Amino acid sequence: MSKLLKNFGVAGLVALISVAVPASAGSIKIGLNVPLTGFAAADGKSALLGAELAVEQVNAAGGINGDNLELVVYDDQASPKESAPLAAKLITQDKVAAGISGSYSGATRAAATIYQENSTPYIAAYAVHPDITRSGDYVFRTSFMGEVQGRAGAKLIGEIMGKKKVSVITLANDFGKSLAAGFKQASAAYGIEIISEYDYSIKDREFGPIVSKVKSESPDAIYASGYFFTAGPLVSQLRAAGIDVPVIGQEGYDGEMFIKIAGEAAEGVIITTSLDRDSTDPLASAFIEGFQAKSGYPADMVSASTHTAVLVLAAALKKSGAGDKASLRDAIAATSINAATGNISFNKLGEVRKSVQVQIVRDGSWHHYAVISDPVLLAPPEE
Amino acid sequence: MAYEIIVATTMAITILFALSLNIITGFCGQVSLGHAAFYGLGAYTGAMLTKAGWPLIAALPPAAIVAGSVGFVVGLASLRVRHDFLAITTMGVAFLFVGLVRKQEWLGGEIGISGIPAVQFGRPGLLVLSIICAALFAALAVYIKRSWMGFAFDSIANDEDTARVLGIDVPRFKLWAFVIGTSGAGVAGALYAHHVRYIGPDSFGFVESVTVLAMVIIGGVGSVWAVALAAAVLSVLPLWFQFVSDYKLLIYGLLVFGVMRFSPDGIAGAVQRLLNRRS
Amino acid sequence: MLFVDLLIQGIVQGAIYALIALGLTLIYGLLRILHVAHASLFTLGGYVGVIVTNQTGSLTLALCAAMVLVGLLGMLIYRVAYRPLLDKPPLVALIASIGLFIAFEEVFRIVFGSYGISFHNPPLRAQIEFGGGLLLSYSRILIIVMAVSFLSVLAWLSSRTRTGVAWRATVTDPQMAASFGINVENVRYLNFFIGSALAGAAGVMVVLLTNLAEPTMGAVASYKALAIIVLGGLGSVRGTLIAALAIGIVESFGTVYIGHILDRDAIAFAFLIIALMLRPQGLLRAG
Repeated sequence: MSKLLKNFGVAGLVALISVAVPASAGSIKIGLNVPLTGFAAADGKSALLGAELAVEQVNAAGGINGDNLELVVYDDQASPKESAPLAAKLITQDKVAAGISGSYSGATRAAATIYQENSTPYIAAYAVHPDITRSGDYVFRTSFMGEVQGRAGAKLIGEIMGKKKVSVITLANDFGKSLAAGFKQASAAYGIEIISEYDYSIKDREFGPIVSKVKSESPDAIYASGYFFTAGPLVSQLRAAGIDVPVIGQEGYDGEMFIKIAGEAAEGVIITTSLDRDSTDPLASAFIEGFQAKSGYPADMVSASTHTAVLVLAAALKKSGAGDKASLRDAIAATSINAATGNISFNKLGEVRKSVQVQIVRDGSWHHYAVISDPVLLAPPEE
Repeated sequence: MAYEIIVATTMAITILFALSLNIITGFCGQVSLGHAAFYGLGAYTGAMLTKAGWPLIAALPPAAIVAGSVGFVVGLASLRVRHDFLAITTMGVAFLFVGLVRKQEWLGGEIGISGIPAVQFGRPGLLVLSIICAALFAALAVYIKRSWMGFAFDSIANDEDTARVLGIDVPRFKLWAFVIGTSGAGVAGALYAHHVRYIGPDSFGFVESVTVLAMVIIGGVGSVWAVALAAAVLSVLPLWFQFVSDYKLLIYGLLVFGVMRFSPDGIAGAVQRLLNRRS
Repeated sequence: MLFVDLLIQGIVQGAIYALIALGLTLIYGLLRILHVAHASLFTLGGYVGVIVTNQTGSLTLALCAAMVLVGLLGMLIYRVAYRPLLDKPPLVALIASIGLFIAFEEVFRIVFGSYGISFHNPPLRAQIEFGGGLLLSYSRILIIVMAVSFLSVLAWLSSRTRTGVAWRATVTDPQMAASFGINVENVRYLNFFIGSALAGAAGVMVVLLTNLAEPTMGAVASYKALAIIVLGGLGSVRGTLIAALAIGIVESFGTVYIGHILDRDAIAFAFLIIALMLRPQGLLRAG
């Protein structure tokens, strides 16, 4: 008798619960690999926050046709060895509809192979390795290839700024080398003479020997690649040695930390990047304010690019739905949206077509300096 | 399915890598802090050959030979310097390798080599190949351990000068240890290149050398099964620890420290003590 | 002029290396341990230097705080990590040290953030001009002065005071020293304190130059310092100093002239390997 009562009781409870709990919105999962530990942890954190902000904004505006967007995040330590298995995990176990890379080039390249092998769309937010999109037609990139940005740098220095004798200081990794390659490619067209070139390692923080040598050469301008933790000390030491000529950098400098490290030496430094702090575009300002509120520090290029990548994916998901990966891929390829980093569309290879923002440090923060929109110059390779 | 295969392949390759160092450092007592350079030599050799059209299986022997030849040269260094000096010399070799490779455009330079061809028989096939290579090498290791060569290695590891007095041709055996160990690393490297399908100079740096050495020490020098186990576990630890992602590396560091602090003879030693206590 | 400039850069870099490597060589001389975690102490020194200077505005106070705190932590590391491993093969201590180093790096990142911290008002930016357009910042001058003074003080302490003599005796022959009534344990603690304090000072010096204290700033020191003490002849203070300066200068000229063929670390290690092949015991013998 009591057993029967117990059974009825349990059944009744279950029925009650399933009725009482409202049917929750479905969710669409997208994968995100970022470096949260290791040497690239700073950028990883920015990328993650940028992505989270985008997801929050998308969901607040109704999600993907009613379904919530959900991020599945894994830490890849910016290592190709880690990112490949993680990509497999995201695709086969977490069953993500698509993936975004908020990580560096090596890790992104390795993961892209896995995504392509499994016919799952993958968007690289800011990794610059030239071969990432060559993994296949499922891989896209929302930021500039190194060589494209390098070419923009040549136009900036040779034409817009009118400087001709340039010393090139290159960070010896794929980021720096591809920037230098693009710069050198386009320099002749703008009348630039590269009087010297120097390499430094990502581990270097003291640049005394290079600074001394550059000083003895008296260039009109210096084109230096690096991340905030190398560019900050480098610029600081260049100025301290009495070198006053313009220093032109790229998106690796883009962030508040560069200015904090270099202090007064940062004034007047110009960079090619993706984010315009003075933009009147409501999307850009919404992102900048939203990021500051969420993270507690000013937005940087990494967060802006990852934010954009999520928005691109969200827009494509709205068009094609999450069911079929092939049609999602096609929807991404046909992207034409506005995001914080500008007007986004892709070419045949999956490379982004957008304008280059040029920013300058004035009064201790980044401001608008110029825009480069030359479509021929900025055309990424088609294959 | 794909995920488990990838994880298992990572384990198999790492086991081979660690067992190869075990021959040099575990059996023969020659400290090598630069083993990743041979991993890299094998990886680059294998990648360049398969990109030129060779099938992977045909690319494995050249990978072993290239790594083994350089290993022979480094082994010569071990005849000149000992212990901590040897450790630093081998460390230097690894830095030289990375430093040279990243400047060579024909090796891909900083950009590395990408688009390494997929293995013909797919990822399951690569898993089988990796397991076979690891198993063969483990069998070789066990055989060496029980042979005269193993005895010679052991005496050199214990006390080099006494071994010399006993009539053991120390230089010859040291060189053998290096050649065998580095060739094994070369094969592991070639397999790795086709597993991740992208290699760059940063994949073979000091951190990799230290990590594989940690696997050998944590396993317990000289023990084949324990080093294999340590390699298997440590290679996938970051994956298992994703849930504590922010503290992952911290836990890893503390774990490595903890094992050394509380069981300096590694897993093998701990198990040995457990068995002894029972009997 | 360029030659002199590069030479001075090399000497400054060498002086920093010397400050870091000195502590390492003291510890090696006594315990035969390759103390990789020494680089974590260097990093902590940098952080303390920035934090105290930002709070109090006094670099001097920051330097003292860094040296004392780091020295104490060094003693703690000896007690907790190395003392239990003294009778084990040296590889064990090396791996344990590496585990500690990784853990510390992560603690710095988790506690102080992955972006690192900078001075609000970087001190000693001002510069003196020497003949021929040679500019030397006060911070660079300070580094050379500090390295020289610390070394002189150490040299004086070890030969003119009882503690110093006791220390030298313990290094040469611990059992004999113990039988003379020297407390070997105290000597070890002192060793770790001094060695770590020097690393802490080096950390402050480096952050003065770069204006960035970050979790991975000890990465290069962790292996470069090992190379330097080996090159110098393990355990030899004078040898370490010469090796540190040599590597600093070789790197300075090398990165500018052959930076296209080899990167900085490869240049340093190429130099090291050649030197070791010629003199397998290092530049100077221990003593």
